[in-house]
Amino acid sequence: MAAQMAASTDPQALSWYEATARQRVVALADPGTFTEFLPPTERRMSPHLPLFDLPRAFDDGIVVGRARLDGRPVLVAAQEGRFMGGAFGEVHGAKLIGLLRAALDVRPAAVLILFDTGGVRLQEANAGETAIAEAMRAIAEVRSAGVPVIGLIGGRAGCYGGGGLIAGTCSRLAVSEGGRISVSGPEVIETNRGAEEFDSRDRALVWRTMGGKHRRLIGGADAFAADTVAAFRAAALDLIGRAPAFDLATLEAEQARLEARIARFGDCRDATEIWARLGVNDPDAVPAMTTAAFDETVARVEEAHHDAR
Amino acid sequence: MTDWRSEARLRDDRIAAGRAQADGKVVPATRAVDLLEAVLRPGDRVCLEGDNQKQADCLARALAACDPGKVHDLHMVQSGIVLPEHLDVFETGIARRLDYSYSGPQGGRIARMLYGGQIELGAVHTYLELFARYFVDLTPNVALIAGVSADREGNLYTGPNTEDTPTVVEATAFKNGVVIAQVNAIVDKVPRVDIPGDRIDFVVAADKPFYVEPLFTRDPAAMTETQVLMAMMAIKGIYAEYGIRRLNHGIGFGTAAIELLLPTYGERLGLKGRIATHWALNPHPTLIPAIESGWVQQVHCFGSEVGMDRYIRERPDIFFTGRDGSLRSNRAFCQTAGLYACDLFIGSTLQIDLSGHSSTVTQNRVAGFGGAPNMGSDPHGRRHPSDTWMKAGREAQITGDPMLMRGRKLVVQLVETFGDKLVPTFVERLDAMELAKKTGLELAPVMIYADDVTHIVTEEGIANLLLCRDADEREQAIRGVAGYTEIGRGRDRAKVEDLRARGIVRRPEDLGIEPLDADRALLAAKSIKDLVHWSGGLYEPPAKFRNW
Repeated sequence: MAAQMAASTDPQALSWYEATARQRVVALADPGTFTEFLPPTERRMSPHLPLFDLPRAFDDGIVVGRARLDGRPVLVAAQEGRFMGGAFGEVHGAKLIGLLRAALDVRPAAVLILFDTGGVRLQEANAGETAIAEAMRAIAEVRSAGVPVIGLIGGRAGCYGGGGLIAGTCSRLAVSEGGRISVSGPEVIETNRGAEEFDSRDRALVWRTMGGKHRRLIGGADAFAADTVAAFRAAALDLIGRAPAFDLATLEAEQARLEARIARFGDCRDATEIWARLGVNDPDAVPAMTTAAFDETVARVEEAHHDAR
Repeated sequence: MTDWRSEARLRDDRIAAGRAQADGKVVPATRAVDLLEAVLRPGDRVCLEGDNQKQADCLARALAACDPGKVHDLHMVQSGIVLPEHLDVFETGIARRLDYSYSGPQGGRIARMLYGGQIELGAVHTYLELFARYFVDLTPNVALIAGVSADREGNLYTGPNTEDTPTVVEATAFKNGVVIAQVNAIVDKVPRVDIPGDRIDFVVAADKPFYVEPLFTRDPAAMTETQVLMAMMAIKGIYAEYGIRRLNHGIGFGTAAIELLLPTYGERLGLKGRIATHWALNPHPTLIPAIESGWVQQVHCFGSEVGMDRYIRERPDIFFTGRDGSLRSNRAFCQTAGLYACDLFIGSTLQIDLSGHSSTVTQNRVAGFGGAPNMGSDPHGRRHPSDTWMKAGREAQITGDPMLMRGRKLVVQLVETFGDKLVPTFVERLDAMELAKKTGLELAPVMIYADDVTHIVTEEGIANLLLCRDADEREQAIRGVAGYTEIGRGRDRAKVEDLRARGIVRRPEDLGIEPLDADRALLAAKSIKDLVHWSGGLYEPPAKFRNW
């Protein structure tokens, strides 16, 4: 049993999707290098949740701190998808924004954000929405200072709502097959537009539309990782090495990329149509592809590679 | 002179009337309503095939569309009330009386219609009980059944989901009844003959393939560590101790977790080959890792499961398959197997009272029984011994000459102390009793009676009710594993500790299980995709279970 427990924290074996936020951070960083800021012992909890008779978490569902990655200093934030779906509340948001602002002083090799969130916490929506806006601004400032901000997405809650907006401001994103990136979630779309428009219970459709493989193929994410902490670590190191400058040229390239994308695929009714237009030979086979086969497919798709963002 | 052939003549009349709507035996879906109006007579007993899995849905829609002026006051005798049409016919007067077994998804509406008096209820049955009555006093005049394909002679291929069909046809066709089958396709030659053509009077070419509910798929991604802990306790404290080889599992996450722990935790305990080798079980996707790692010798199935057909085809040593290669299931036989040939049934429930009666009924839902009470009962007709059965019998302290003792089947309830939305599982009084009072039922719908239950497993421990010697011990044993529910907090601590000393109540630590070791890492598959990998790509999960 002891061997089994030890094995489950081995980065090669530890499933990103299965791991807790703290397990992810510890296994992602160089061994023994993670130091947490405002750890659970500090009891920085939500002031709002007791009003709703809801349980609180000692860390408000986010782990922030400093660590080393391949010997270089990084700042890390990891959302805990199991606490209120990783949603942004006042304290949760403040911890992320504080970490980002600290990067301006510390000047780490990168800031890593391990997204696992459904968006803003409804019970503290004003504070949460403000946090989203402040986090986006802070990321712009950090990137302007020359520090890349890398998003890693492969948790159970995906990266939705304001989390999707923040992800859009990062320098680079890595995603796994189980990861999802979007703003409106499947249930929200179905509620507003009907099941004919989007059947949220058709999980294959959800992943085809918002999942890691689709985001990688259309260039919405810049690296595709297998579902292990080791794979995300490798992806993070790779992305830090090729983060774009945050300048007018990059922003104009990003604008052009997004305009071209909507022009080219705006009339598609299903992700498989987009994949076919991208030149994928057998679009229907994409969801079941292994990581290796998918990597080969991505290598042949031009849109998956760009210097923008 | 006595007329001994009146039923047969009526049958001939019905068939002659139906033939006018048919080309030989074949009827297009567009004429299905005309066919039913021609064949059915007011007051008929009708079996509209449907259970917890497959549904004769095209015929259900046709029956609901019949003119209530022509077709009315039917007596429905069917195992499943699952589709909206199954109840619509009672609102329009097409049907009046009902004898059934299972009503999962329509449980809320059937309760309202029972309160409102729109349904004249005969009884809620277990599957075997209803099947038995098909041959005694609930024989259908007309059976509306579902299959995959048929030829023009009516030879029927049911496909892997054979389920109730042979039983329904046997009772109807050989007692002057008319059998109408909906099929997905009319073919020149069926892959195998599940029902010979001379028992099928009409074949309706359905407008779309019949519906099958993937009721037996549990996503490993949704399993909790509490369920892992309970599964560890069940394996170590029950499966290993009684050496259970022949068994049936319910459909909950707890039992699915046991299936996924066999190749990991069970392997480590050295139990391979000693437990869980022979099954009466639907083809649960969560059993794939145990099959692939050589734990399972054979499995007989009630029905199939969506997405499992290719896998089953490639594992004929394990499953019952036809000459065509596909699964042959049979609900009546598998229920009988679960009742008489298995040494253990383990399943979950919604409520357990202080004596151990359990029910899945809540105040607003009548879910029916299905097959759990058949499997989850001690068969008094059993005569063959097994080590498991004899050990349980001895624990129940059967007195007198050992040569005259009866063994006991193990019937285990695997429940968390609090269920969905933190509703307590343990209660003073079952909601089923309230419901029986409100609806005027003579019997409260009890899923498993107290005297059949041998063990209750919760996250707090195992209560062995076989070892309890009186009602007070039994109550304290149940309270002793009821956790922080009102029932659990009402325990007599001294008595529970005494029961613990006697091994009647056992905690994880008494079994040598460290609760912190109950990690999802122990699950042989942590996602549906892992199950696909275990199956070598043969399992094809339906879209609602995919996250890729």
